[in-house]
Amino acid sequence: MAAADNPSRERILARIRAAVQTIGPHHDGPVGQIFAPVTNPLERFQKECVANITECTVTADAAASTAAIAQVLASLPPGEIFVHDAPDLRALAGAFKDGRAVRWSSEGPPNEASQATITLCEALVAQTGSVLVSSANGGRQATIVAPAHIVFARVSQLVPDLEAAMARIYERGIASKNSYVCLITGSSRTADIEKILIMGAHGPRRLIVVLQTA
Amino acid sequence: MSTASQEFLRKAAEKSADLVHRGIVRWNIDQYDTGVGRGKTRFADWEAARQRCHDIKWEGVNHLDKYLLQFEQKVKENGGHVFWAENGEEACRYICDVAARGGVKKVVKSKSMVSEEIHLATALEKIGVEVVETDLGEFIVQLRNEPPYHIVTPAMHLNRQQVSKLFHEKLGSAETQDPPELVAIARRWLRKDFFSAEMGISGANFIVADAGMVTITTNEGNGRLSTSVPRIHVALTGIEKVIPRLQDLATLWPTLATAGTGQPITCYNTLMGGARRAGEVDGPEEFHVVLVDNGRSELLADIEQREVLHCIRCGACINACPVFRNIGGHAYGVTYPGPIGSVLEPRLLGLKEYQHLSFASSLCGACTDVCPVHIELHHHLLQNRRSAIHSGTHPGSERLGMKFFRWMMSSAPRFRFFGWLGRLALRVVQALGLEGTALDPTRPWTKDRAMPAIPRQSFREMWREHNGSR
Repeated sequence: MAAADNPSRERILARIRAAVQTIGPHHDGPVGQIFAPVTNPLERFQKECVANITECTVTADAAASTAAIAQVLASLPPGEIFVHDAPDLRALAGAFKDGRAVRWSSEGPPNEASQATITLCEALVAQTGSVLVSSANGGRQATIVAPAHIVFARVSQLVPDLEAAMARIYERGIASKNSYVCLITGSSRTADIEKILIMGAHGPRRLIVVLQTA
Repeated sequence: MSTASQEFLRKAAEKSADLVHRGIVRWNIDQYDTGVGRGKTRFADWEAARQRCHDIKWEGVNHLDKYLLQFEQKVKENGGHVFWAENGEEACRYICDVAARGGVKKVVKSKSMVSEEIHLATALEKIGVEVVETDLGEFIVQLRNEPPYHIVTPAMHLNRQQVSKLFHEKLGSAETQDPPELVAIARRWLRKDFFSAEMGISGANFIVADAGMVTITTNEGNGRLSTSVPRIHVALTGIEKVIPRLQDLATLWPTLATAGTGQPITCYNTLMGGARRAGEVDGPEEFHVVLVDNGRSELLADIEQREVLHCIRCGACINACPVFRNIGGHAYGVTYPGPIGSVLEPRLLGLKEYQHLSFASSLCGACTDVCPVHIELHHHLLQNRRSAIHSGTHPGSERLGMKFFRWMMSSAPRFRFFGWLGRLALRVVQALGLEGTALDPTRPWTKDRAMPAIPRQSFREMWREHNGSR
C-alpha cells in the first residue's frame, strides 16, 4: 500500500518513535530453567499423547504403518478420504484400498464432507505431544476440516521440546517457505459451556499419529 | 458522577445480589483455579517463565517501531497488505472497503477483542455484510445480543440449560441438557458459514517480527477454518502485540495457555504470514493485517504505565479478581473487564467518564501476583486514581474531606479524640433510634450490611487495660 493511502502510518510511527526515545522500566527476576529437559523423547511423546488425547501408534515398518492406517479407516463411517500427495503416503496407499474414494491434495483441497485426512508433518514435539504441520502438508484445510486427522511420521522427526521445534522452523525455513504453520496438540476441543471439556468442536474429533521407527 | 459510573454501580449492585449468577461464575473460576494449579506443575520454574515473558514483551514494546517495521516489510515481501489505523473508525473503514471491493456478503470471525473494542461487527452490518462469530462462547453471546462476558471465556455466565434454551429459540434445535450435543449443534450450524463466507476475520495473539507472521491460539479450530477457507483473511490486532522472534513462542505459547486455561499448551497455535502461495493447495487469495493504535501509542508515551502494553490477554487477572467474581463481566460496561480493563479502559476511553473502574478495587494485588508478564496492575489502578484526582474532576467536598482525614490521622491525640467522638456519635444515633433513617450518617454502609455492636473502648484502651501501661 502506498504511503498516501495510509497517512496514519507515519503519524503512529512518529508517536511511537518519540515515545521509545526513553526506555521503560524493566522487572528483574529469576532467569532459571523454565522446563525440565526431555530425556527420552519417544517415551515422553507417547505419554503426552495419552494426556492430550492423541491416538499414537508406534510401528516398525511401512507394512505395519499401512496396517495401522487401514485399521483406523475401518473404524470410520463410509465416505471419501483426503490424502496429502507425497511419496511417503503414495507408498502406504495399500491402506486406502477399502473401496473408499480417495482425493489426493494434488487434486485440490479436501471436500467438506471428507471422513478423514491423512498427512505428513514437519516435526513432532515430545515436550507437549504436538504435531507441527505447515501448508506443505496437503494445505491448510487438510489438517482441520475432517472429523479424523491421521498423521504419518517417522521417529527421526521427533524433537525434544518447543525450543528445538522453533529451531527446526528456522533451520528448514518452514515459516519462510510456507504461508501457514500450525502446532497441533490433541484434537479440537472446547470448554466454553460450564468448563466441561468436549472433543470435536470445529476441527477433528480424533487425532491419530502413526509413528514409524524405521 | 458520570453516566457510566452510575450504570456501573447499578449493575454491580444487581449482579452481586444475583446468587445464581455468582454460583455459575464461582464454579467456572474454581475449575480454572484447579486447572492452573495443575498446569503450573509442568514448569520447572513458573517464575522463570514469567520473567522470560516479561523480557520478551518488554523488548517488543520498548522497540515497537523497529519490530513493527520489520514485520510490515516481511508481510509485504510475501504479498500481504498492512494497514495502520489511528482509531477504530479508520480500522473499520478499511475492513469495510476490503469487504466491499471483494463482494463480501458474509464474514466468519474468530475471537478478537480488538474487534469488540472498535465495534467492527456493527460497522460491517451497516454496509450489509452478515457477521458470524464462530468461537462457541462468542457464538452464544452473539445469539443473545450481548458483548463477551470474559475475554477468554465469553459465555462464562451461562449454564447448559440457558444455552439449550437459547439454541432452541434461535436455531430451532431440540432442547438438550447434554453439553456434547450442544457443541454438535453449534458445529453443524457454523459449518455452512465457514464454507460460504467470503471473508474470515481473526485477531492475533502475537505479531512475530522476524517471521512476518501473526499467530492465533485456539482450542476449537474455528480460528483455523476462518483463516483457511474464505477468500480473504483479515487479521486485526493492536500494535502492542509485536514480539521480536519466533523462538520467543517456545515460552509464550505454553505460558499463555497455562495462565489462560491451565492447559500445558493450547490445541492449535497457528502462524500465518500471507495469502496462498504458488504451489500451495489452498488458503485465502488476500491477506490483510490491520494494526490498530486507538490510544496505545499514548500509553506507550507514559513511562509509568507503558508496561500495561505487555498484556497478552490471558485473563488470569480477571479470574483472580474478587470484584469480578462478585459483579461479573458485564457490569463493567466496557470491552475489557477485570483488573486489566480497569487499568486500560479509563486510559482508552477517558479518565473523566471511566475513572470509577480504577476506584472499584480493594487493591488486594491478586491480579499482580498472577500476571504472567509481571504487570503491576494494582499500582496502575492507584496511578489512575492519582491522575483522576489531579485532573480536578472530583468534587471540592471530597478534597476537603481527605484533607481533614489526613490532618486527623497524622497526630495520635487527634486520632484518639476523633475515635472517641465517633463512637459517642454512633451510640447517640442508636440511643435516639435513628439507625437506618436519613439522619444516620452510616446509612450508605449499613443499608446492605449489619452494623457490629459499638465497642465501649478503643483498641488502645483495651491494650492498656490488659497489658498494663508501657
